[in-house]
Amino acid sequence: MPTLSRAQGTALVLLRTLIGWHFLYEGYYKLVLPAWARGGTPMAKWSAAGYLAGATGPLAAPFHALGAVAGSWIDLAVPIGLVLVGLSLMLGLFTRAGCWGAMLMLALFYLSAIPLTGTPVPGQEGEYLLVSKNLIEFVAVAVILVSRTERIAGLDLLLPSTRTPAATATTA
Amino acid sequence: MNLTPEQQAIGRRNFLKAVAGVPALAGLGAAAAISGPVRGGPMRIGFIGVGGEGRVLLAQVDPAYATVLAMADINPSQLAKADDVLQKQGRRAATHYADWQDMIAHEDIEGVVVAVPLWAHADIVCECLDAGKHVLCEKMMAWDVAGCERMRQTALKNRKVLEIGYQRNYNPMYQAAHDGIIKTGLLGDVYLSRILWHRNGNWRRQGEPPSKDYNPSKWGYPTFEHLWNWRLYKRYSRGLIAELASHEMNIVNWFFGAEQTSVMGTGGIYRFKDGREVPDHVYATWEYDGGRTAVFSSIESNAFDHYYEAFFGTKATLILQGEAEAYLFDEATGRPATGLEVTPKGSGPALEASESRVADAAGRGAGASTTPGDRLLAYKNEISAFCAAVRTGAPLLCGPDRAMGSARACIMAVEAIEKKTRLEIPPPVAART
Repeated sequence: MPTLSRAQGTALVLLRTLIGWHFLYEGYYKLVLPAWARGGTPMAKWSAAGYLAGATGPLAAPFHALGAVAGSWIDLAVPIGLVLVGLSLMLGLFTRAGCWGAMLMLALFYLSAIPLTGTPVPGQEGEYLLVSKNLIEFVAVAVILVSRTERIAGLDLLLPSTRTPAATATTA
Repeated sequence: MNLTPEQQAIGRRNFLKAVAGVPALAGLGAAAAISGPVRGGPMRIGFIGVGGEGRVLLAQVDPAYATVLAMADINPSQLAKADDVLQKQGRRAATHYADWQDMIAHEDIEGVVVAVPLWAHADIVCECLDAGKHVLCEKMMAWDVAGCERMRQTALKNRKVLEIGYQRNYNPMYQAAHDGIIKTGLLGDVYLSRILWHRNGNWRRQGEPPSKDYNPSKWGYPTFEHLWNWRLYKRYSRGLIAELASHEMNIVNWFFGAEQTSVMGTGGIYRFKDGREVPDHVYATWEYDGGRTAVFSSIESNAFDHYYEAFFGTKATLILQGEAEAYLFDEATGRPATGLEVTPKGSGPALEASESRVADAAGRGAGASTTPGDRLLAYKNEISAFCAAVRTGAPLLCGPDRAMGSARACIMAVEAIEKKTRLEIPPPVAART
């Protein structure tokens, strides 16, 4: 693998951190519910049921089936998964596992609603055809995974398995 | 540099005003405003007093905002009726208590709704606040000014939310009238407000004690009659002025943006000489700075006028009738000219008010177009706002400061009526926010 310049390494770690925050806050927010908006409106407990019931595309059926059991383990597993992935990417701890987890979740999110119509969808920003933000974020995480950013910055550097000569992946 | 808090506040305001619109600094402001949701589900509340008014409030508790865990009332019949209210709405049963202090001690509640006879407001509210509970207390605030001030100070000391139940503040129609007509100056200069509440009947209620051996004396009521008709006895009540006028005074103070400076009163027990102690006919005139006056009457011998608040301006007249209808009359033409549109936005109290000349296609004269407000929606909004204030710090529309204004005016009016004289109303003890 070619060495990365300092700027390239910094950019990749920054990208990893931002994606990590995205996951972390999405999970934290769901765990906090039920809660209140600052304006004084109550927000109900989060559930994956609505999202799963609204799944579209060729793979919608299994997601609908999952929606039928949502309200149990899925409602807890999703936010906890999001938080763990987020922490992993932000801290650079068990980064490769975090990346795989992120890609798995993003793949599920993408497959549950593959944008095939190419026309605006009510309640959704932008218009997509095949390529959605979930897919782009999936590829971004893949880039982070193959770039081995855990060898540039993060708590993984404290682990013996990561502390190898290859860890100095950047050049001055 | 040592700046006083006032100087700091002024400086901060001046700075933000000066830099408003500067993108880089606007970003700083945005960063400071970053915030997520506030943790917590529906507020856990209890009710102290579930008589007629308490049950009106109970029925308007939105489950998304609050869960009623317990109810306290010294009359078990009232608790049974309150159970029916909850049951009809498919809500969970609430635990019963005869003693509200037991409820406070044993229930995991964050706040209470207090709807008990007026004389007990101050003691109960202050004790609840001291116990760390937030309080929504029915109007009038307290039996005397000292009680009002004690409630206000206790809420401040304990940093708890205290709201006083003047539901008109949360009625979409009143909000639209204030924001769309009063604030915009459509009435011109207003020198007179006429408020009244006329009924034709006996205020005395008929009722049976919950059991033959029921004895409410340990709660301060010598007989069941004193408890059941507490509004008719001076020890517990301030009569028509507290029960009816205070609602309307609250609106006049809101619309005038001021508090009264003096009051003249008269009245008496003219029709129902049945042992009651409070007048069945009362008349009061309050004066404000700037030559503004509010005239109130409440009689129990004729219901033709029913109840309304009217504001007579140099350009137009606004009449808010029965908490449900609004009329605006153009002073130049002397006829109904403007419609008041009230459009609730979602479940919140936010509204749109617009001035719009209305005339139908047939060319008939413009009518006093009104959309009836929902009286019960006002109660629901009031309770929801109380819960929101507790959870998120959202501002109240009738906290102790506003409520004290009308309470002071009404308490002085009762004294003026008894003496049939004119009394100066002392300014607030301390400058209030």
